[in-house]
Amino acid sequence: TIKNEVDLQVLHLLGPKTEADLEKKPKVRRKGRLKQKAAVVENGEVGTETLSLLEQLRGEALKFHKPGENYKTEGYVVTPNTMALLKQHLAVTGGQVRTRFPPEPNGILHIGHAKAINFNFGYAKANGGVCFLRYDDTNPEKEEEKYFTAIRDMVEWLGYQPYAVTHASDYFDQLYTWALELIRRGHAYVCHQKVEEIKGHNPAPSPWRDRPAEESLLLFEDMRKGKFGEGEATLRMKLVMEDGKMDPVAYRVKFTPHHRTGDKWCIYPTYDYTHCLCDSIEHITHSLCTKEFQARRSSYFWLCNALDVYCPVQWEYGRLNLLYTVVSKRKIIRLVETGAVRDWDDPRLFTLTALRRRGFPAEAINNFCARVGVTVAQATMEPHLLEACVREVLNEKAPRAMAVLEPLKVTITNFPALDVLVPNFPADETRGFHKVPFQPTIYIEETDFREDIDKGYKRLAPGQPVGLRHTGYVIAVQNVIKDAGGRVMELEVTCTKSDAADKPKAFIHWVSEPLACEVRLYERLFLHKNPEDPAEVPGGFLSDLNPDSLRVIDTALVDRSVLSAQPFSKFQFERLGYFSVDPDSSARKLVFNRTVTLKEDPGKD
Amino acid sequence: MEARVAQAVARLARQENEIKCLTAEIERLKNFGCLGVSPSLEGLRDENAKLKYRLNFLRKSLQEERSKAVKSSMININSCLQELFGAAIQAAYPDLENPPLVVTTSQQPKFGDYQCNSAMGIAQILLKRMEQKISPREIAEKIVQNIPSNECIEKVEIAGPGFINVHLRKDFVSRQLSSLLVNGVQPPAVGRRRKVIVDFSSPNIAKEMHVGHLRSTIIGESMCRLFEFVGHDVLRLNHLGDWGTQFGMLIAHLQDKFPDYLTVSPPIGDLQAFYKESKRRFDTEEDFKKRAYQCVVMLQSKNPDFLKAWNLICDVSRKEFQKIYKCLDITLVERGESFYQDMMKDIVQEFEEKGFVQVDDGRKIVFVPGCSVPLTIMKSDGGYTYDTSDLAALRHRLFEEKADILIYVVDSGQSVHLQTVFAAGRMIGWYDPKVTRVAHAAFGVVLGEDKKKFRTRSGDTVRLMDLLDEGLNRAMEKLKDKERDKVLSEEELRAAQTAVAFGCIKYADLSHNRLNDYVFSFDKMLDDRGNTAAYLLYAFTRIRSIARLATVDEQQLQKAAREEVVVLEHEKEWKLGKCILRFPEVLQKILDDLLLHTLCDYLYELATTFTEFYDNCYCVEKDRQSGVVVKVNMWRLLLCEATAVVMAKGFDILGIKPVERM
Repeated sequence: TIKNEVDLQVLHLLGPKTEADLEKKPKVRRKGRLKQKAAVVENGEVGTETLSLLEQLRGEALKFHKPGENYKTEGYVVTPNTMALLKQHLAVTGGQVRTRFPPEPNGILHIGHAKAINFNFGYAKANGGVCFLRYDDTNPEKEEEKYFTAIRDMVEWLGYQPYAVTHASDYFDQLYTWALELIRRGHAYVCHQKVEEIKGHNPAPSPWRDRPAEESLLLFEDMRKGKFGEGEATLRMKLVMEDGKMDPVAYRVKFTPHHRTGDKWCIYPTYDYTHCLCDSIEHITHSLCTKEFQARRSSYFWLCNALDVYCPVQWEYGRLNLLYTVVSKRKIIRLVETGAVRDWDDPRLFTLTALRRRGFPAEAINNFCARVGVTVAQATMEPHLLEACVREVLNEKAPRAMAVLEPLKVTITNFPALDVLVPNFPADETRGFHKVPFQPTIYIEETDFREDIDKGYKRLAPGQPVGLRHTGYVIAVQNVIKDAGGRVMELEVTCTKSDAADKPKAFIHWVSEPLACEVRLYERLFLHKNPEDPAEVPGGFLSDLNPDSLRVIDTALVDRSVLSAQPFSKFQFERLGYFSVDPDSSARKLVFNRTVTLKEDPGKD
Repeated sequence: MEARVAQAVARLARQENEIKCLTAEIERLKNFGCLGVSPSLEGLRDENAKLKYRLNFLRKSLQEERSKAVKSSMININSCLQELFGAAIQAAYPDLENPPLVVTTSQQPKFGDYQCNSAMGIAQILLKRMEQKISPREIAEKIVQNIPSNECIEKVEIAGPGFINVHLRKDFVSRQLSSLLVNGVQPPAVGRRRKVIVDFSSPNIAKEMHVGHLRSTIIGESMCRLFEFVGHDVLRLNHLGDWGTQFGMLIAHLQDKFPDYLTVSPPIGDLQAFYKESKRRFDTEEDFKKRAYQCVVMLQSKNPDFLKAWNLICDVSRKEFQKIYKCLDITLVERGESFYQDMMKDIVQEFEEKGFVQVDDGRKIVFVPGCSVPLTIMKSDGGYTYDTSDLAALRHRLFEEKADILIYVVDSGQSVHLQTVFAAGRMIGWYDPKVTRVAHAAFGVVLGEDKKKFRTRSGDTVRLMDLLDEGLNRAMEKLKDKERDKVLSEEELRAAQTAVAFGCIKYADLSHNRLNDYVFSFDKMLDDRGNTAAYLLYAFTRIRSIARLATVDEQQLQKAAREEVVVLEHEKEWKLGKCILRFPEVLQKILDDLLLHTLCDYLYELATTFTEFYDNCYCVEKDRQSGVVVKVNMWRLLLCEATAVVMAKGFDILGIKPVERM
């Protein structure tokens, strides 16, 4: 990231690159004397006063070019054809902003993608434009149908509608034709260096770089026909990238069928080759990507210009990272395999499906992204900042209910018999009430009764009555029933109308004629902020698992108001936190996930 | 009490857990989880999948290349000249319909390289049709004046009564030779890729293959190779005699001899003896005969037990046949008569619906115009005949396999039968002979050296396997006579032995006009003088050794082929060069008349022409004393190479495997 920032600073200092610059080894330029600015915002303060996403995206803060004025962007390479191509481009788009969200369909989206989705869809929306959902399915080996649908689901869950759903593979024929053209123009060649020879520091330049175009055309044809084994030949583009990487690969041989094109191809294009050309085909105006791709910006411009096709502008923004978690597909697979989490959507993970399951509202995630901002800086955030956004939304959206996690039976001996109305949102009684039964037998939290009390303890104890929320009654202990071991099994209490009694020191929640349910309480999955950092966690991320990350209570009780709740319905259980109905729920038994506690650090008496 | 309950509960929990584990384990094993232990398995599976993908891909690409590979075909000089003279005659005599067009190679150098003899024929026609008397010489002159400009003719002369002698351009021939060396031996252009079906070999189950089948097998294989070489899609069908009443007695006998045949594979080693035994019982035991007929009915109704018995018997034969096919390097797809059984009902129906069927004494017969004998498509007992199954096969090959060319390599004895079947197919409208070629490539019988039917001394038919074994022994004797065993390594000797033995048997058959009967003689076929495989194989190894002795390697030859001109100044160079380039002409002729001996004759001529060249032109000049190579005449080595590659391709089509040393 630091190098990227330096690059960026250098870029600003030296002005737009010309093709001549790009040919040079960039090493010289990288030794900038500039002091790097700490561009990483850690624990970026999330203030509620942040502008809404739309406002930010509409604002002047983003110095993005207007559609058709690509050439006004610093670093944009202008060729003799540029103006004509831009004119054509405007004729196609009518001057509309066009963005795209281009995930690889090989994994589940995570919180980092939420930023990309928000940025791309949001920017288009804020400027009256459109956004494509384009699956970058150039790599045939990993793609599975489930990823395609899951990605689309998540985009829609976040509240966005793609203008069109496309696939990089839709353009394989066009890409192939362009590859031939690129060879003919002398910009690409077939190379036989091994992967090991290309990788690493200062790899030797390809001895095949200057072979005649005719020869490359024939060999590329042979590649397409399956005459070369995997790794025996690649098509490489003749250019040097910002980071000094020479001649990136455009096509490689893979004897793998493709999810969509079947057995039509045995050569597949790379990201470097495909991405900008797909953008060009779709007439994207702003190609937004994270900062790792900054080093590929020159190749992006170079390739479009080498083929004389419309060249979009690539803009970079900082990645969004979250502490105390891992998001890479490989690592999540390890977690699932080792049983550390139940599946990809285990609520302790930060995949979007996991967050939805845990009960995070899409709105909260979008708000979080807005607050992180769309700056170039990479943001590494604490999960509690996300949770704050969640509370903010749920406070407004999740109706109240009462649940008891560790029930203690209480019998009211002088029971008055009545139903109780509980406000859905106590702060705003206009939003309705729900009725819960109030019978002689109620259940309270075991921890809300103590026989011996100390000074700070304000709840039920012999001689210390307590108020029952929403009932208008205060109960006082009459008799404590214990088992042979001396454990409190039940309480007998008397009740008094609260206006007839002294004001109790505290009010507790309770349930009566409740439903049995399962409650899952979550803590952080990892103990350290950066479980992937070997300096912090030498034993690897699997050694950093929090043993208490999941607590399952299968004997909890909840009031009847939640009876017919559907999966993902959200409630605030008084004094316990926000909860969401898990899809594991059955008609027989509801399962609740605790989304977040009521406060960041729940008070402990 | 409580403690015991707690214990029991704990135990129960443990057991339930164990059950879960075991269930999971079973699931895992079901999914070959047991194999998952090997870490390389996954890798190998991946690799396998990739290899399959690549194979499929290469096949597709091959097809793609074939479909547009016509450009690199070898030029058929004869047909080039025919085109030129055709155009010339057309221009000279535009009113003449179907003028005779005759172009042949000249027999003597003084008559040029090729000659066109059309003038005489045209004179005749002009006289008869138009009552014009014009001398052929005059006509020849007019033709010559109208020859279009071209790249191959150096000059033409009119000789005698009106022969037009053609001299080819040396640089044209030289260029064709260079292209042959650079591009390899390419087929002549034959137009679009066609589906070709060759029905050959076709022995009968439970009977020994005999020399008649040998002819069909050898000729059929060679035809397939030729059709494949020119780029057609060839299906090689073995029309096995695997169905019929004889299976009734075989199955009945099997049931008697091996009652537990369904569970224990019966050890039938000698199927022929088994056949004879059952035949004897069939002829002598009335009960057995009755049961044999019942077995036929059971088999035809596809009773599984009887099908199994049938399969067991067929398998024994199949294994025997396969041994012979392996020796002779024959590839075939088995599709016997049984394959067509279910189609025969429809055949009868189709002929009935179209009104071709007559009932004669309970039989259903079909008269075919121009054929003396009617086809019997259903017997009076409701059974079918060879006529029916051959019609069904014809129909299937035309409609299901979509054959463009369909060739039956069957002995001449079947000629009337097959011609009637073909004519019936045309009559009912299955194919148009102008579009689809259906041909009987007939062949004569094999005779012994006494010019009588080929039999063993005791009068039995000769077992094919014995014949091949004898061939091997005789070939070895011959090699030892020539003391080759002292020169060659054990491995080389054995390779030479099989190459000579099987090569000679095939070549002897192929080098005779298939329409004639042919005399089988090991002495003649192993003779290394004259038109035999032995001679050609020796000649070939000698040519191959020339470059080797001059220490010129393949790369140097390739380079020379690209860069050096093949000089054709010497008379013998010129003769050899032209002879080499006649290869596509020869193949084209065979594609038309299916007479493979033309290829043998050509190869023999090529070998003798080469010998003439080699005797007269030094390829490599050596110092007489020291034997050190002084000079290499590269263009001559190129001529050697061109001869060798054409011979090798010729051998390949004939199914003969040359060896590097013998």
